[in-house]
Amino acid sequence: MKAAAQRLTLPFLIFVSALLIVFGKTDTFLYDGVRAALTDRVAPVLQVMRQPMVAVTSAFQGVSDIVAAHRENAELREENARLMQWQEVARRLAAENAELRDLVKLVPENAVHSIAARVIADSGGAFARNVLIDVGQKDGVQRGQAAMTGEGLVGRVAEVGDRTARVLLMTDLNSHIPVELEETHERAILDGDNSEEPRLIYLPPKTEVKVGARIVTGGAGGVFPPGLPVGVVSSIAGDVIRVEPYAELARLELLRIVDFGLSGVLPQSAVPAPRAARGRSGAAAR
Amino acid sequence: MFFELSRDTGYVTRIVPFVMTLIFALVSVVPLNLPGFSVVSPAFAMMAVFHWTVYRPDLLPPSAVFASGLFLDLLNGTPYVGLSALIFLLARTAVMGQRQFFVNRTFPVLWLGFLAFAAGSFALLWILVCLLHGGLVGLRPFVFQAVLTVACYPVGSYILALAHRALLART
Repeated sequence: MKAAAQRLTLPFLIFVSALLIVFGKTDTFLYDGVRAALTDRVAPVLQVMRQPMVAVTSAFQGVSDIVAAHRENAELREENARLMQWQEVARRLAAENAELRDLVKLVPENAVHSIAARVIADSGGAFARNVLIDVGQKDGVQRGQAAMTGEGLVGRVAEVGDRTARVLLMTDLNSHIPVELEETHERAILDGDNSEEPRLIYLPPKTEVKVGARIVTGGAGGVFPPGLPVGVVSSIAGDVIRVEPYAELARLELLRIVDFGLSGVLPQSAVPAPRAARGRSGAAAR
Repeated sequence: MFFELSRDTGYVTRIVPFVMTLIFALVSVVPLNLPGFSVVSPAFAMMAVFHWTVYRPDLLPPSAVFASGLFLDLLNGTPYVGLSALIFLLARTAVMGQRQFFVNRTFPVLWLGFLAFAAGSFALLWILVCLLHGGLVGLRPFVFQAVLTVACYPVGSYILALAHRALLART
């Protein structure tokens, strides 16, 4: 009897695994609660395990910094000179902008408040691109908020626990971010496809795109506030337009979770929608 | 101190393989911010599943393999919870048939065995992800992670062997 039960365990567990996958496929949010609870629990362990890694990294960084210091110094000096000119321009424009706003009585934008977060884990897998951060609901993080580095957009908060949250990177298979070309304001979707450079899809027909064109978030869908820097068009091969993110997604350490007061429009944090609608809106949000 | 004590308590030693597999799963998600290092990291949990299946399958039964796969899936934040569990279970079954071949062999033979094990697992993973996603998914990260995992196997194997010797010597 016991032997028979033992022999059946394996096929049974294989069956359960397959079933779990199918369930997860039909309801994208099914495991969110469990996942958030688990990551909340293991976060302290991950914090501890990070420490030796931080030491190794900073040692490596130290060596490569010394090697690169001389060249970098020259580059920075040059860049500084150039930026000083830009600063001048920016000051003038800011003043002019303020005057013009005053003139047309423009309502000021919502105050932006941001939460600093540290990356405590990254999936490191072959097909999932996300990172776990050490702030959660208790710190004011909500699903749908934008995650950024100083350089640009990284992705959006996909799942929130009490003390941790998961950020879906824009390179993930399930990431679809409404963006626009900075210059012409043509809208498109930035579609993650598991490569390091996501694709630009659904551009209006006959849109002219050049390599080097800057991409910013678009306001469509109310996912992100418009105008956050995303990246530049890096290659165009037929229909395939790829965007190189400004943020260095392979080496994320500190993130800024930006709250623009827009997350309320995302379906999950709003009133629980009926099941059918949930599936659909879920697909859009993931 | 703790290890000295646990050596004599059978119950604690028996969960070592499972706990090691969980720790290896955790290690695989710790961010390695090394300059020039890629976004993927070695699949350490896979090494642990292989090691214990070859040497002590009795201490890492299907239920433990399933649980560690599920743990990894939830930790990874992949949309397909159960995928690692499924692959680990299938891979374990494949190794179980061949394990006599690996026991008491030299390390290169074991490494070669792991190469086949990892290649099969990643190929299956890629096929399943493509099926679930409903379209071809970039193959490169899978190949890259497989190569990285096989390349890092000696390190993982060494640590597992240390734990193996220290804690299971008397069971």
